[in-house]
Amino acid sequence: MSESTATQTRGATRATRTSTAPRRSPVRLIVMAVVLVLALIAPLYVEEFWLRTGFAVFGAIVGAIGLNLLVGTTGQLSLAHAFFLAVGAITYVYVSGESGGIGIVKLGGLGWPPLVGLILGVLLAGLAGLLFSPIAARLRGIYLGVASLGLVFIGQHLLNTWTSVTGGFNGRAAPKFSLFGFQFANKDPLLFIAGVEFREAERLWYLGLVIALAAYVFARNLLRSRPGRALQTLRDSEVAASVMGVNVQRYKGRVFLVSSMYAGLSGVLYALSIGSIAPESFGLEVSIQYLAMIVLGGLGSVGGAALGALFISAMPLVFQKYADVLPFVGVAGQGGLAAGEAARFLYGFAIILVILFEPAGLAGLARRFRRRGRDPGGGAAAAPEPEPTSRSTTDVPSDRPAQGSST
Amino acid sequence: MTETRTADVRSDIPAVEVDDVSVRFGAIKALSGVSFTVEPGTIHAVIGPNGAGKSTMFNVLSGVYKATEGQVRFGEHRLDQMRPFQIAGIGVARAFQNIALSATQSVAENLMLGRHHLTKAGFLAAGLRLPRATREGKRHGERVAEIAEFLELGDKLHTPVGVLSYGDQKRVEVARALCTEPRLLLLDEPVAGMNAEETARMAEAIREIRSALGISVVLVEHDMGMVMSLADRVTVLDFGRRIADGTPSEVQRDPEVIRAYLGSGDETAPGAAATGAGATSSDTDGTRS
Amino acid sequence: MTQFLSLLLNGISLGAIYALIALGFVIIFKASEVVSFTQGSLLLLGAYTIARLSKPFGFWLAALAGIAVTALAALIVERLIINRLRGAPVISLAIVTIGVDIILLTELIRRIGSDILNVPHPWGGRSFRIGDVGISQNRLIAIIVAGVLIAVFFAAFKYSSWGVAMRASAEDGETAALMGIRLGRVSALAWIVAGALAAVAATFLVGAPTPGVSPAVYGVALRAFPAAILGGLDSTGGALVGGLLIGLAESFAAGYQDQLLFLGRGFGDVVPYVVMIVVLLVRPSGLFGTKELTRV
Repeated sequence: MSESTATQTRGATRATRTSTAPRRSPVRLIVMAVVLVLALIAPLYVEEFWLRTGFAVFGAIVGAIGLNLLVGTTGQLSLAHAFFLAVGAITYVYVSGESGGIGIVKLGGLGWPPLVGLILGVLLAGLAGLLFSPIAARLRGIYLGVASLGLVFIGQHLLNTWTSVTGGFNGRAAPKFSLFGFQFANKDPLLFIAGVEFREAERLWYLGLVIALAAYVFARNLLRSRPGRALQTLRDSEVAASVMGVNVQRYKGRVFLVSSMYAGLSGVLYALSIGSIAPESFGLEVSIQYLAMIVLGGLGSVGGAALGALFISAMPLVFQKYADVLPFVGVAGQGGLAAGEAARFLYGFAIILVILFEPAGLAGLARRFRRRGRDPGGGAAAAPEPEPTSRSTTDVPSDRPAQGSST
Repeated sequence: MTETRTADVRSDIPAVEVDDVSVRFGAIKALSGVSFTVEPGTIHAVIGPNGAGKSTMFNVLSGVYKATEGQVRFGEHRLDQMRPFQIAGIGVARAFQNIALSATQSVAENLMLGRHHLTKAGFLAAGLRLPRATREGKRHGERVAEIAEFLELGDKLHTPVGVLSYGDQKRVEVARALCTEPRLLLLDEPVAGMNAEETARMAEAIREIRSALGISVVLVEHDMGMVMSLADRVTVLDFGRRIADGTPSEVQRDPEVIRAYLGSGDETAPGAAATGAGATSSDTDGTRS
Repeated sequence: MTQFLSLLLNGISLGAIYALIALGFVIIFKASEVVSFTQGSLLLLGAYTIARLSKPFGFWLAALAGIAVTALAALIVERLIINRLRGAPVISLAIVTIGVDIILLTELIRRIGSDILNVPHPWGGRSFRIGDVGISQNRLIAIIVAGVLIAVFFAAFKYSSWGVAMRASAEDGETAALMGIRLGRVSALAWIVAGALAAVAATFLVGAPTPGVSPAVYGVALRAFPAAILGGLDSTGGALVGGLLIGLAESFAAGYQDQLLFLGRGFGDVVPYVVMIVVLLVRPSGLFGTKELTRV
């Protein structure tokens, strides 16, 4: 699904000799500006729980956008996202953490500045992606889905056994973030803006906002340009893409790399958000959670991925906070659902319902409302929603001779 | 009547030499020792009854299938040893029989994919929106718009391809192939499923492409009327073998060809078209060729 | 040496169980071009059903019920969801099976809780010994049953009309449909068979030497996925070979764990995935999978 959608489907316009991008809808810009302003002033008014939730959401947005590039835009199913999250998180914790440890567990740590830890986290996740990309590049999209399972379990095994780095089963604490001496904690320095004390949650909010915005803009730019077009063609038909001059293997490898770097960044943010990391935070379930985010948002849509991330990642936290008010959320095993279980049911149903009934997800719904808004008569003049090319197979050659294994 | 080769054939376009090409899939031989030559700047048609191996031939030319035997030479290049994207890089373009466009993207965006091998912006430059990436995009966008105009798609540049008519989509296919600035254009059933008017427009466009750009065109088609009036040379395949090769009038009269078509009860035989039936293709999609 | 032989036997038996699960996976793929991630939770469903029903009804009836329930669940998934998505991109189908899997799994985990449910196999935990080399009777019977089922399946695949129909629709669905093959029926039957196979595998998986039904069983079932992939997703023979390979690798890795401590404790659980990745590096379509005809 393209980011520069058909905002000009109705009413043929004069051919413009230069532009390949249609006019951006003013409504969309206004909405985004409003959201941005609200986001900027939020810490002045909103309480800590929501700020912390927001930071977690920002981290999830980064991860979701990355996964969407791989799965939604390029059509390569991957369940390995949790692995790359782990690589980013572990790298940050190790590089910026102090060595030491409690009791018999000896922890290593380099104690370098957190910014370095963050950058290395992203880079190492990318390196891990690069190492796996020869496989990612050569497998058919569906094979990659199963193969990537392997990375998650191998990753968890490493997390559990490489104790000096990862803290083993119990995990380890994540060092607080700081930027050139400015601590993202409750003090150092004590900060008051507009009469509001800027503690850790407020500071992290802005960090997350900036990073999420950058991630979003980068992905949008990517999709509207040469590599983005190549990736989208890969999803629809690898053969067609190759015939058009796209080096399929190189692009599949590259998008895997980019996606893993996004995941690494998201992992670092996760570590900052929770304050510690443990192997159980990077299991298959997390990969599925991210998958649910991008499916809910609409496969292929960057904005959709962000929306999906907002819902899916905020939901369990909200469930937990309002557990006594929500009817179905109770204590596990006592008739109600634990918050975690309720969330998992949510992921499953979100995935199934979206794919069955509105494959374009939230982004698709938004597009429909926008179209109806512009044409309140709901008239036939509105162009029908184009069907995405349905077969992402290599099926382009029109005759397929007999082939295949005998069983 | 076929046109004689135009005076402005480009000197940088070599002949395409298909040399004894065979393709085997397991026990099935889709092509057996097929040879023909596409002279530079000509329109060369490949025809044959269903299942003759025409699309297999195209796939070999594009590098999608690997030839089991034989060679395909395009100047100094061996197409049979190159991967599809490399073949695109030396100026061989293909318009697919089944529309292989991205339905949700606009015409312009689909066409821009054709410029892929002519542009360089990578992930980093594109994501950061570096000036050189934007400039490159703009420059090529202008060229794309020109080509769209040429194929009467100028006013549909920003329409999603999925909402266009079938005929228009086929034009976008051809336009996209043109956007790669090819020296050799492979058109796989460009008028399949079109009505008489659309067919005529497409035939005219193909003629213009040849005369304006001077490139070589290889055409797979069932519509005999169109083939006979457009092609400089025709190669006929049947059951994976070449059974005739010559000018359209020669091929029409070739007894082998007549037997191949009439023997299989195919009504789109060249002979039928010669009597002015002007058959539009009765077998549209899903056929094997 | 006796340890080697015991591990070998154990590996073969584990491999036979994996082969059953992987075979179901491959059957679904060949019949409906869907990569189904539901095998794991279906297996757990089978195990849970057998465990719960064996107290009131005894082992044999419970086992049959387990197979029936699992097959039925698979059929429901296929009819309600997969069938509605015919023609959708393959990736959407795969993702939707992930959704189903997670719902089924969460519900089952909720019911099992932190218990370990017991399944009273008639053969219990007894071992079968030849000299010093032993294997649990449960696993021995698993090998036999799996062998029989796989042989029956291969015969059916080759000679029965359903087998022919399935091979035809796997190769060229459009033409198969034109020839009168009911794609929906082929697909439904494939899911039923896959569900049944998963349940049979479950029956043995929850017996000696790893008795008990707990959420961990799901993790074990997942290891059949590498078996299916490395054999080639569309190769039923590959599922068999893949299953055996994975079973043997896991058995030896766990058995020689002390010598392999540098790889981390519990490496045996992860070795199926490592083997899979190694195989895929060399053969991207799996050992016996159909290589792509088209070059990119």
